[in-house]
Amino acid sequence: MHLFLVLFLPLLAALAPARVGHRFGPAAAAWTAAGGALAALVAALAPLAGVFAGAPVSAGFAWLPAAGLDLYLRLDGLAALFVLLVLGIGLLVILYASQYLAEGERIGRFFGLLLLFMGAMLGVVLSDNLLLLLVFWEMTSLSSFLLIGFWHHRAEARRGAYMALTVTGGGGLALLAGFLLLGHMAGTFRISSILQAGELIRGHDLYLPMLALILTGAFAKSAQFPFHFWLPHAMEAPTPVSAYLHSATMVKAGVFLLARLYPVLSGTDPWFFLVGGTGLVTLLFGAYMALFQHDLKGLLAYSTISHLGLIVLLFGLDTPMAAVAAVFHIINHATFKASLFMTAGIIDHETGTRDMRRINGLYRFMPRTALLAMVATAAMAGVPLLNGFLSKEMFFAETVHLGGLAPVGLLLPAAATLASVFSVAYSARFIHDVFFNGEPVNLPRYPPHDAPRLMRLPLVILVAHCLIVGIFPGLTVAPFLRLAAASVLGSPLPAFDLAVWHGFNLPLAMSATALVLGISLYAVRRQLFALHAQLFPPVDAHSLFSRLVEGAYSAARRCTAATANGSLQRSLALLLLAAAAAMAAPLVRGLWPPIGPPPVPLDGLTLFGGLAMITGAVLTVRWHRRRFLALIPLSVVGLMCALAFVRFSAPDLALTQLAIEVVTIILLLLALFFLPQRTPVESTPRRRLRDLMLALTLGTTTGLLTWTVLTRPPGATIADFFLANSLPGGGGANVVNVILVDFRGFDTLGEISVLAIAALAIHALLDGLRLPPCGRPCGCGREPAAERHPLVLAQMTRFLLPMALLVSVYLFLRGHNAPGGGFIAGLITTAALILQYLASGIAWTREQWAVRYHRLIAWGLTIALLTGLGSWLFGRPFLTSAFGHFELPLVGEFELATAMLFDLGVYLVVVGALMLVLTTLGDLNRRCLRAGEAS
Amino acid sequence: MAALAAVAVAVLVACGVYLVLRGRTFPVAIGLSLFSYAVNLFLFATGRLVSGAPPIAGSGGPTADPLPQALVLTAIVISFGMTAFVITLALRAQGELGSDQVDGRADTPEEER
Amino acid sequence: MNHWLIAPLLVPLTASVALLFATGGSPALRRTLSLAATAALLPLAILLVLQADSGAVCSYRLGDWPPPFGIVLVLDRLSALLLLVTAVLACCSLLAAIHGEDRRGRHFHPLFQLQLVGLNGAFLTGDLFNLFVFFEILLLASFALALHGHGRERTRAGLHYTVVNLAGSSLFLVALGLLYAAAGTLTMADLAVRVAAAPADDLLLHTAALLLLVVFGLKAALLPLHLWLPGLYAESGGAVAALFAIMTKVGLYALLRVFTLIFPASTGAGGAVAALLPWLALLTLAAGAVGVLGSRGLRLVIAWQVVVSAGMLLAGIGLGNLAGISAALYYLAHTTLVTGGLFLLTELISTQRGTTGDRLEPGPPVRQPTLLGGLYLLGAMAAAGTPPLSGFIGKVLLLRAAPAGGTAWLWAVVLTAGLVALVALSRAGSTLFWKTEGLRAEGGGARPLAFAPVVVLLGAAVVLTVCAGPVTRYTEATAAQLLAPAGYTGAVLTREDRP
Repeated sequence: MHLFLVLFLPLLAALAPARVGHRFGPAAAAWTAAGGALAALVAALAPLAGVFAGAPVSAGFAWLPAAGLDLYLRLDGLAALFVLLVLGIGLLVILYASQYLAEGERIGRFFGLLLLFMGAMLGVVLSDNLLLLLVFWEMTSLSSFLLIGFWHHRAEARRGAYMALTVTGGGGLALLAGFLLLGHMAGTFRISSILQAGELIRGHDLYLPMLALILTGAFAKSAQFPFHFWLPHAMEAPTPVSAYLHSATMVKAGVFLLARLYPVLSGTDPWFFLVGGTGLVTLLFGAYMALFQHDLKGLLAYSTISHLGLIVLLFGLDTPMAAVAAVFHIINHATFKASLFMTAGIIDHETGTRDMRRINGLYRFMPRTALLAMVATAAMAGVPLLNGFLSKEMFFAETVHLGGLAPVGLLLPAAATLASVFSVAYSARFIHDVFFNGEPVNLPRYPPHDAPRLMRLPLVILVAHCLIVGIFPGLTVAPFLRLAAASVLGSPLPAFDLAVWHGFNLPLAMSATALVLGISLYAVRRQLFALHAQLFPPVDAHSLFSRLVEGAYSAARRCTAATANGSLQRSLALLLLAAAAAMAAPLVRGLWPPIGPPPVPLDGLTLFGGLAMITGAVLTVRWHRRRFLALIPLSVVGLMCALAFVRFSAPDLALTQLAIEVVTIILLLLALFFLPQRTPVESTPRRRLRDLMLALTLGTTTGLLTWTVLTRPPGATIADFFLANSLPGGGGANVVNVILVDFRGFDTLGEISVLAIAALAIHALLDGLRLPPCGRPCGCGREPAAERHPLVLAQMTRFLLPMALLVSVYLFLRGHNAPGGGFIAGLITTAALILQYLASGIAWTREQWAVRYHRLIAWGLTIALLTGLGSWLFGRPFLTSAFGHFELPLVGEFELATAMLFDLGVYLVVVGALMLVLTTLGDLNRRCLRAGEAS
Repeated sequence: MAALAAVAVAVLVACGVYLVLRGRTFPVAIGLSLFSYAVNLFLFATGRLVSGAPPIAGSGGPTADPLPQALVLTAIVISFGMTAFVITLALRAQGELGSDQVDGRADTPEEER
Repeated sequence: MNHWLIAPLLVPLTASVALLFATGGSPALRRTLSLAATAALLPLAILLVLQADSGAVCSYRLGDWPPPFGIVLVLDRLSALLLLVTAVLACCSLLAAIHGEDRRGRHFHPLFQLQLVGLNGAFLTGDLFNLFVFFEILLLASFALALHGHGRERTRAGLHYTVVNLAGSSLFLVALGLLYAAAGTLTMADLAVRVAAAPADDLLLHTAALLLLVVFGLKAALLPLHLWLPGLYAESGGAVAALFAIMTKVGLYALLRVFTLIFPASTGAGGAVAALLPWLALLTLAAGAVGVLGSRGLRLVIAWQVVVSAGMLLAGIGLGNLAGISAALYYLAHTTLVTGGLFLLTELISTQRGTTGDRLEPGPPVRQPTLLGGLYLLGAMAAAGTPPLSGFIGKVLLLRAAPAGGTAWLWAVVLTAGLVALVALSRAGSTLFWKTEGLRAEGGGARPLAFAPVVVLLGAAVVLTVCAGPVTRYTEATAAQLLAPAGYTGAVLTREDRP
């Protein structure tokens, strides 16, 4: 359980500093942060003791087995080493940062993010589950993003942060894929179990893709060539961040992963060449580039890249001894590089610049800092009696050892020496250029002072570590190293002794050569810089990257603009095309149906009707540019539909179609009052051809389908049930009506809701809309507004109205047994009322009919709902109908059905909705005419 | 008979589709209603074509299939609501976009899109 | 007789009627009514989820007619899940709407309630024609809500949305006709039985299946029928856009329902469709990713992210195995809620950026940088699938469902889409919150209450992460239920006389 404390203490503490800093000031924030880290360290002590006693500590529980994501932590030698690094250096960095950050910066937030990162990094090293490791891995990327962008008023900071996130985030996705493959191959995501399955995995045929993906992730994180370019730009972060994330810990996550999975992945040729090769290239490239940086932090960044390359190369060499050396160098690099970054920070802080062409001769101003820096630099250069020397000797020894055998030959030792020549050179530059080499050149802040004691303290500690380890390796670092290396190898350690003096041997010679050549290389730097300048004209990785990104963006924009160009016609064409494909595909695939019984013979009248319908449709298209004219054939089509319904024994449909037709046409006429009277010719011939093709395809396929349906022998349908149960079960003879109000009454409820919505929506749409009447208003378009009305028509309609209402009542009452019912009655009533409006104008009709139509709709829905709910009283489901026959004097026996009540609701909604729609349009006319007259 | 019905539906669909693909709101609206006529006819046809036997219970003998009729009735009413909405929307577009072009573009000859 | 099953329909319907009566009444009254009705859906949905989690498929026979003759409502794990998601989303979106958006036009509240009727009905009904009716309800209501308030662009986008979907509805009717002509019934369960019995190469059935794919694909914004979506979502008001996060899911629900129940891959027609789904998913994902990258405004980025999520879901469904469908369902809950939250958040951000709005260019700093920035970070992480949030879990579940190696294309596209989302959202965030210039815009910050819905919806990502275990158990059970349609048909079609 301690392990979870170690992990969560920093994460929880991360919430504190922002608030504390807000209330008690920056110092307090720093102390809370330090407290968090310290607490984690204390919590870690007990488990660490266990590990040193030789027993890995693990804790955890299943979280999400389905995804293979479980909360398992494990602390073994390697993890222990990293925990100490992360927490130890973390504490020092917090101490340093508390002095570094200026007043007035959001220090609280800074420390919060720092702790967040610390927790995430601890998670990475402690996870015993691949996916859990990935979770923390991405958290480190994210916190690094936020920390690099901490000074987000600076464009470079934003860009650097964005670049780092893009690269490491992309690597993270590759890693995810790799981990999923690895887990799939091993059958588990538990790292400790996977480490046992090395044989199986190396033999698996997915090994290579898995390896490539995982390495991509690791290399992106550890800034290996060619993913290195984000690291120099990450230097925009405040220097404590550079010291902590971008040299000591986060960039080590990649090499940590290599170490973690070493027993599983290593030992194959792909591993040797991929890892070793990348490491070698990065080592040389970084060392070379570092020499030519003028920015202090830039030099350190490239040197970090180069040293990470060294570590990767060591893992790639794939010998136990090399792995030990790698782990050792991880420790050493962390210590001396962190202290160097702190030095750079101090110098930046004191002089206000990081340009080595201006910073010279600082020794006079800050002797103490200078001394510390020199020791650390010497360690970086691999000078004897310092820790850097030891691990580099081991590295040389390995290269020599491998150099003995094919295929690398002497190439490897030579390359190693060359790299180290450069590292000596840039180390020399770091010391000589900065602290000696004449006088400073117009510094922004002058004169610089030595750093305050508290700010130097972390340096002292780190540098002391470099020295002690360098002189007494056996007494200090050896146990840690053995422990960590053992858990990396997962096998017994090779025999080695960490001694300063191994006698005169090849590695020592190589070191000596490196030192001498390095110094001399530095001596001739002027010429070198010139040469470099003309050999490699400066390439700004950033501009390349941003050009790449911008390219992607603009490509995407163009692509989107080209496809989603906001053209309705395109969307429709695509939809109809898809439909055509859907309907044509089965026909094309030759799924021809069986031909049923001979179809019904054709009679002249029907033929005439059909032809009329077809002509109507064609004429509608033919005349569609002259809009009023087009309405005539359109209504003919509607009429013919109604007749077709009559012809084929669907009286209810016929009535409905007829009434709807009238209302629709009136609606279109009202609308045309505001729309242009003509449609201009605008489609190009090509476009028209395309549309014609599409139309014909869809028409033909639909026609074929209709024919198929009509000629297929009728199968068993559920219709017979309705015919059988309509009278006994539904109490109505008109089966269609009984279906509407009873069997499928729920559909009808939905349908009247649709009408209601339509009415409301239209009311809302036209609300406050002002339209100039355009074009030539036709008679019917203007009628409802203009106050002059043909008297005869008005009188006639007024006389007609009661009759119409009577008819609709009649139709309504008989609806349940003969054609009719709520819909039709409602439509007829509406038609009659509309006639009133047309004939007598809105004003007059309003006086006669003071009805608020949305109330009418509401009442209709209420009645329908209550009818439905009524059945609950009898313990029946919603909308269960009941009916009875009653005896009444004079009238005689008649029937009452709850379904009729429901139908009444339907009637009211239909009238209300239609009237609301039409009167809203009418009002629009009026408003606009008023506006017209006023102007 | 079947052939006639098929041809009628085919023509209606074709005309509807062609109009729907025009660049102005009004033809689109007309096209939609033509299309829905066709669809209603098709839906109706799925009950097969029966002459002179309206689905009145107790009339004795085989009658037309009542279910498609009920469905078509529902469909007619719903499509009316939709047509009404589209027409009103066309007005609103005319008012706010100042043109009845479906993409609200000014009245210029359209280029290939 | 268990009347709870129909309550998710009756509550909003009654509320809308009441709201109609209250038209012209005080706005406070209307808001209270609407809120109360919507809030009532939450416990209801939870109740139904618990009921469905027993594994039983319950049906409700409207009018007490035995299926397949009457209309049935059917509750199984899938519909219950979607009811719950809808309820949560609706509550939050309404809470956001009552800060003024509902006053920008008429009849907002009744239309909102009717929209809920349509959604819940679509999820509950067990009858295909009834599904059509509910589609019409939710479509028409959504047209009205999308056009709520005014504005050129809004009208244009609304017009497109309306016309395209009307054409879609007609096609739906054609498909229904074909099905009735071929199978002679409308109840889904009965259709399942009859289609299974029908010959594998029935022309009508094949056509019907493909047409249904087109119709539902249009609703779900699958390529190439996705063009209506980005504009519409980017132009609608924040609360409406948030509610619309569920709209595409209706289409995917219908796809999942119809192509597991009526046309499973075992049937001839179903097989034809099943072969298409993975490719559609792939294309939709790709197109969505490109759109995300190419967007110049935050709303557009999120709108395209909706397309991406449609692709993700279809990819899961297209895998056709238990793990895939389960992953899709988990992702569905995640993406719906998070997208809704992001739309609401965008509204807050853009109002505080004054005239710059949600455009991704330097603008005035927001008034509440820490709060808005933090919420944005949360939402963006969830949406981009950054660990450990629900988006990541959904992605992992999906990738694990795809047989390793066998479907490299899926892995590649899903991961690339993830990277694109990460890049686009981080860039958008740094532009909105870091790349500030000039003075703060006029007006104060948003009131705490205005943050509540955003916090709830984005918090859902955290909840889904912490409770990932139970949630995935539920979704796996759901997937299992879907893959064994016999249970469904059996439960619905059991003949029993009126009690």
